[in-house]
Amino acid sequence: MDQDTRSRLTRRAFLRAAAIGVGSAALAACGGGGATAPTAPPATIPPPTTAPTLAPVQPTPPPTAAPAPTAAPASAVTNSLGVTLPANAAPLEQQAFVVYFDITADFTSPNQMETIYKSGGFGSITNLTGDTLVRLNKDFQVQPAAALSWSSDETGKVWTFNLDPNLVWSDGTPVTAEDFVATFRYAADPTHAWDFAWYYSAPGAIKNWDKCVAGELPLDQLGVTAKDKHTLVIESETPAPFLPAKLVYSEVLSAAKLKEFGSGLYTADPAKTISCGPYLLKEFKPGERVVFEINPTYKGTNRPRIERVIQIAARPEAMFAGYQAGEVDRVTGEQLQTADNEIIARDPELSRQVRLTAADFRTDYLFFDCQNPPFNDVRVRQAFSHIIDRDTLIKSIITPTQGIPAYSFLMPGFPASNSEGLKNIQRYDPERGRALLKEAGYEGGKGFPKLTLWLRNEPQIRQALAAAIAAEITQEYGIEVEVSNKEFKTFMDALNAKPTQIQFGMVSYGIDFLDPSNMLGVWLSTGRHNWFNKTYDEMVLKAAEMTDQEARIKIFQDAERLLCEEAPAVFIYHRTVADIYKPYVVGECFEPNIAGFAGLQWPGFTSMSDSLQTLYISNEVTKYRKGTPR
Amino acid sequence: MVAYVAQRLAGLAFVFILVSIVAFLLMHATPGGPSDEPNMPLPPAAKENILRKCGLDQPLHIQYINYMANALRGDFGYSFSSPTETVAQVIGRTWPISITLGGITVVVALGSGILLGILAAIQQNSILDYVVTFIATLGLTVPNFVIALWLILVFAVELRWLPLGGWGDDWRQIIMPMIALGLGPMGIATRYTRASLVDVFTADYIRTARAKGLAERMVVMRHAIKNALIPIITVLGPRIPDLITGTIFVETMFRVPGLGKFFVESVLDRDYPMIMALMLLIAVLWGLVYLITDLLYTVIDPRVKLT
Repeated sequence: MDQDTRSRLTRRAFLRAAAIGVGSAALAACGGGGATAPTAPPATIPPPTTAPTLAPVQPTPPPTAAPAPTAAPASAVTNSLGVTLPANAAPLEQQAFVVYFDITADFTSPNQMETIYKSGGFGSITNLTGDTLVRLNKDFQVQPAAALSWSSDETGKVWTFNLDPNLVWSDGTPVTAEDFVATFRYAADPTHAWDFAWYYSAPGAIKNWDKCVAGELPLDQLGVTAKDKHTLVIESETPAPFLPAKLVYSEVLSAAKLKEFGSGLYTADPAKTISCGPYLLKEFKPGERVVFEINPTYKGTNRPRIERVIQIAARPEAMFAGYQAGEVDRVTGEQLQTADNEIIARDPELSRQVRLTAADFRTDYLFFDCQNPPFNDVRVRQAFSHIIDRDTLIKSIITPTQGIPAYSFLMPGFPASNSEGLKNIQRYDPERGRALLKEAGYEGGKGFPKLTLWLRNEPQIRQALAAAIAAEITQEYGIEVEVSNKEFKTFMDALNAKPTQIQFGMVSYGIDFLDPSNMLGVWLSTGRHNWFNKTYDEMVLKAAEMTDQEARIKIFQDAERLLCEEAPAVFIYHRTVADIYKPYVVGECFEPNIAGFAGLQWPGFTSMSDSLQTLYISNEVTKYRKGTPR
Repeated sequence: MVAYVAQRLAGLAFVFILVSIVAFLLMHATPGGPSDEPNMPLPPAAKENILRKCGLDQPLHIQYINYMANALRGDFGYSFSSPTETVAQVIGRTWPISITLGGITVVVALGSGILLGILAAIQQNSILDYVVTFIATLGLTVPNFVIALWLILVFAVELRWLPLGGWGDDWRQIIMPMIALGLGPMGIATRYTRASLVDVFTADYIRTARAKGLAERMVVMRHAIKNALIPIITVLGPRIPDLITGTIFVETMFRVPGLGKFFVESVLDRDYPMIMALMLLIAVLWGLVYLITDLLYTVIDPRVKLT
């Protein structure tokens, strides 16, 4: 066979083709580059920097019942619970709220008393099949829920809750105080091994909680009892005026079902579960779909507008693409990637869909091992507290929609926060820092050990932040810092080890409940960081017990001042979370709250929040959705 | 032959035990455990409750013996991450899906890869050859999650021709995961087939066949390909267990509820029963695949003898 007769690519032809290819690529690169470069920082809603502090948590409930939605002319749409939707509501079959949850996250149950951490990760919607004792409004104020009213005795240690007698399970049986007693006993039960078992310990511990969890006392000794069918009594170890706020985590389980199945996992099986909350569990396939439908037998006060909640498992990297394709109604800020935020910032239409929240008032900070050199010297810690150029970091790395500078621990809007008053203590001042280091004997960084800054499985944005901080420390102080992004459990294991294995790290904390004793409690000697200060402990624990709002806030603020001055942590920024919502997701819950945020506030679309009562789908949906969501 | 297979299976049992010990030790040597503490640390008593519930309060050797004794009876325990299901149930629910996706990908990707490799070898240095080589190199070098995201953006978001993901309710759901999963193995198959065939074309017996006047198609199909198959099987055989156990990125990107994600997630969650079961599954699969490829050599090339 003659090879020359077959088609061959000659050298000349190849070189010609290559030249054309390279030339085309060069032209494309030159042509496309300049036109779309953004010039100004993204023009989005500027987050509030200093908001007025919230109204302090009320120890007694407000006088009115749950607020009704603002009056709107009657429309044709009434949902299966008999709630009439506003005039611009979409038809009933479109009243479905479709969101994503993380496909790789564990999801063992949608009830918080079964598990807190294995419930689908950030952005998942849970806690809809039971009412909680109290719930929050968008200003983070405690509202009645399953408990219509409550009061404490003179000691402040015995709380009586009057339960809503109308609450009923979807199998027809009434909800009684016994259900709540069984729920709390289950949470404390050593065989259940609740992953949130630290929560009802101090501060504001339920009586005998720790002993029951440790198996030292039988569960009937737990300080949660039923006085009668609709009266629940909760006792605390010490006076705790914030106990009602803490009780937002109390989604009731059925005493009968707990007895029948031996565990709360029945809540994850649509065939076995019953609901006394606004929704019924229709489908539960972790890694695929979780679907709730409105509960037509619901008799409580958190009457929802949305008919169905559909959750689809997806990878965070693919969530924004799915949003653009119209598959879901929102992507939360925690689910958005840095690249997604850049696309949003460059697109005016998408930027308008961004809704800002304080989310869980999360603060990122550097922390130290304060028991060992070099950070056992307060001057060294204070020197480090003067090295963070927050304004530049927010502007160029975090971007102004993702955070505001933090000079103290409590974010503006959180009870007792005092950002303005404490702003000066950890100010950016490398000169002062150098002087402090010199005093401590480390002039120019000489003799200072090389540091490794441990990160807790951070995404790219905070890796960049840490790298910038490390570079600044090296440049200004002459101290070598290496950044190491650790796997999540490896980091937490090292942090919580006694003694701690992390000398220098960066981490964040977000709220569990709306009281300063929660956030400031992180820094108690019993907390998770290696800093022991008796004065601080005394101040926080004393203020936690006080009922006089003004006086306790003053003490909390003094404690936070001490925290900033002693600097076991250097505060970097408070996270503002920019969620993105389709324009047809509307409702009063999206109006600006007391701190100026106009997104769906923590804790989101759940029984713990009254946002269920106002969120709905408007008739604009037909411009975006094709067909009805399954 | 029977003696050989029996000997290999006995060896496999030994490998099985060795893998179980190494996996067990590595698993427990990794810091952290099944309890989650992103916020405040759990009180020691609460943490002990979790460890006791997971059977982790026993000494290590007791845990190992209990685990292996149960495993040999087919009881791999309950998954820590999915406490209502046993590990066997989770694998039983998810592996068939990975096998389906992987099986179809094997047939399509390896089949088309071998075919393209043959075409490229027959028409060496032609335009077809260069195009095929380019596609093969692309499949080999671009990571499958990049391909996956690109496919989603083009075909699901922009053109809206294909669904974003999912499994079981639309036959088109398999197209994108199959492409993302298959481009790499297809690239390997193409390259190795082409190289092996080009090598075989230089052999004396091929020149003889051509000199005898045989049609080129007969030369290729009857003489060249069979001889080129041995290196191809050696390389492609082990790709099969890779493909049928799923991969985390492609499956999670396209929401295919397969086994792939558990290989990574079970380690991150410290789901010990699942980790052990998956390690053992992989050991068994790979051992069997190597045994089958060794047996296949004797079928393809009678000169190869089992010792």
